[in-house]
Amino acid sequence: MILKPANVEELQRALVDASAARSRIEQVDLSSLGRVVEYRPEDMTVTVEAGALLSDLQAHLKQSGQWLPIDPPFPEQTTIGRLLCENLSGPRRFGYGTIRDYLIGLSAVLADGRLVKGGGKVVKNVAGYDLQKLFVGSHGSLGVIVGATFKVLPLPATERILQFECKSPDHSASMIQQILSRPMTPAVLDLQNVTGVCTLVVAFAGTADEVDWQIAESKRLGISEGATLDYNRSFWAAQPLPFRRSVLPSKLSEVLKELGDVQFVARAGNGTIYYRGGTRTAPSRVPMELTKRLKATFDPNGIFPELPL
Amino acid sequence: MAEVAPGKLNPAQVQELCSIVGKEHVISAEQELLVYECDAYTLEKNLPGVVVLPNNTVEVAAVVQFAAKHNLPIIPRGAGTSLSGTVLAVTGGVMIGLTRMNRILNIDYQNRRAFVEAGCVNAWVTNAVKTQGLLFAPDPSSQSACTIGGNVATNSGGPHTLKYGVTTNHILGLEIVLPDGQVVWLGTEADGGEDVDGYDLRGAVIGCEGMFGVVTRVLVRLIRAPQAYKTMLGVFETVDHASQTVSDIIAAGIVPGALEMMDKLITQAVEAAYHFGFPLDAGAVLIIELDGLAAGLDAQADQVIGICRKNRAREVRSANTDQERADLWKSRKRAFGAIGRLSPNFITQDGVVPRSKLPEMMQFVQKCSAEFGLRIPNVFHAGDGNIHPLILYDEREPDQVRRALKASDAILQKCIDLGGSVTGEHGIGVEKIDFMGRQFSKDDLDAMRMLRKVFDPESRCNPHKMFPGSKRCADFAPRKQIAA
Repeated sequence: MILKPANVEELQRALVDASAARSRIEQVDLSSLGRVVEYRPEDMTVTVEAGALLSDLQAHLKQSGQWLPIDPPFPEQTTIGRLLCENLSGPRRFGYGTIRDYLIGLSAVLADGRLVKGGGKVVKNVAGYDLQKLFVGSHGSLGVIVGATFKVLPLPATERILQFECKSPDHSASMIQQILSRPMTPAVLDLQNVTGVCTLVVAFAGTADEVDWQIAESKRLGISEGATLDYNRSFWAAQPLPFRRSVLPSKLSEVLKELGDVQFVARAGNGTIYYRGGTRTAPSRVPMELTKRLKATFDPNGIFPELPL
Repeated sequence: MAEVAPGKLNPAQVQELCSIVGKEHVISAEQELLVYECDAYTLEKNLPGVVVLPNNTVEVAAVVQFAAKHNLPIIPRGAGTSLSGTVLAVTGGVMIGLTRMNRILNIDYQNRRAFVEAGCVNAWVTNAVKTQGLLFAPDPSSQSACTIGGNVATNSGGPHTLKYGVTTNHILGLEIVLPDGQVVWLGTEADGGEDVDGYDLRGAVIGCEGMFGVVTRVLVRLIRAPQAYKTMLGVFETVDHASQTVSDIIAAGIVPGALEMMDKLITQAVEAAYHFGFPLDAGAVLIIELDGLAAGLDAQADQVIGICRKNRAREVRSANTDQERADLWKSRKRAFGAIGRLSPNFITQDGVVPRSKLPEMMQFVQKCSAEFGLRIPNVFHAGDGNIHPLILYDEREPDQVRRALKASDAILQKCIDLGGSVTGEHGIGVEKIDFMGRQFSKDDLDAMRMLRKVFDPESRCNPHKMFPGSKRCADFAPRKQIAA
């Protein structure tokens, strides 16, 4: 069953019906829930409906010199709901973190049709359990996210992106180590071979002074060629979808050698490798009993998709 | 929900616990249990049935299994610095003190992680890694005593959360003993990659106020210490001017490492206690700390000074040495301790409002002070909109107690009315139970109860907290009667 509710109340009723009939919901189209509900630049917070596109939200925030610093490859196709459900991120993850770091409130409709909220609208809030964390990366298995409140940041005055071609994974490892051991604060620290060569990509963001100083530091390491982050789009546009492997950042080059001849984009600073070709990495150890209990408690009739594991 | 057994233990049960953790690590004599009758929230008190101090996860699991077998409540406890009664043994039971489990197990400098036991003191982590240019970001004012496990339980903050986020942003993974005695690891493993499959159960446990189980070991994220700091003290004629300065700094797109305010009353008390050199006649002072790369920091500081001057700052001082910076922060973090000079008792609140509502909120606090005839000094995380009004009263005067509770209620209600929260970092505990139904709907609270049931189907772990309708301490009623 595919739902396309006109509003939250309609979604609530549809879920009550689906629960009663124990019918599985394959997809919820929230395109009619796409508004920015409340944006207060002076508070650096924004509340948005889940059907809004990330690109539209960013355009809205940009008018006040702010942004939500999460940068998955196709923001113009990514709704806020999907961003949360799939816990999407992009190259700037190293400098800014992931969506859970910015999510301060969430509204969701549960399987029984109840609209519930966790968190709130203020940047610091420990009243009640941190319910909203459950929905990040939940793939829609616990409820339908209908709205979210984020803290946002001022857009950096400047951002510069540089790249450096590495001779081998070991060479890249030593470069990464040199960058990390200096007082630089890169927003991006990627390693990719999408462009055919194993390439280290760094970006610096902030005031012009900060960025200039870091560019100068990078030059001392031999990193000076200008670059873009477009390899992300070409990598994720291709098929099949890449596998993910997450390792200790210090083990990155070792694991890349182990993966062999694959196309990859690695968040080197975080130790996350996305690769195409080769074999899928086995899922990490998951506390199955708690996981099953959580799913059964929130979705007793099984109307939502299973969590992919 | 089955009613839990009255939380007293018979001698045979105490003996059983002795056989798990050793006789010397079991506290059951009433005289010795008095230490554990409350935390830093002292309005309600009750004795736990017994306190055990296990040495490792295996012992914790055995103690928890014991409690499950005898249907006894369990109450995990760190250093007991909670300000909201989070570790109060409302109906007795087995209090599990983590203070012996205080080791730093491993520090991985390269991957910027530390693996610690839950009883490890917050400040010890940063102390252990600072020579390598790293730090653990959450820095609650109690950091020289409070534990990492306690930080996890309450999702603690501190002055530097403005830029660096709260505890949940710095915990990668954790080990928890569930109320049935099972030991599970949630989140990133100590030697594993950051991204894990499945639900963010680690995120659900952080901030659960010890109600989901006993957290025993924690993998924390370390961050690079800023290359440079620029710490300033802005002196203002009025709280209004200082509040406006906070709004203007944020509006200018500057995110300071910390942005703290102290009003006249608190500044005077802090000065009397620590002799930092604060002006005694200023309406408010702001501690503004910029941090990051040295390049451009001075220019940003000039911009901040300009904003202060625009809001008629009398002067803006800068900390010129590491020592001056340390002294300034010491004064701020010990501010609560200086209150003893002003009053025998105080209630600390920690409501949050949207930053732009700060001037309105501070005016309301002043109004409450006048209306209820109580002094209310303020020292707080202004940049986050997280207020800490300290309502001064004397518990020997029943009428003052009553007025203090009323003022407290009015202030927290105002936080809710302005779109904020009744607690930014101290937690609900037993203290703010009555506000949960005002801030959240019945359905919101039911969803939270569902989550609790996933971890603790019997509601036996740290019971009678958080939810409206919970049982109160026997010791609370008489005090309330005096107050009424």
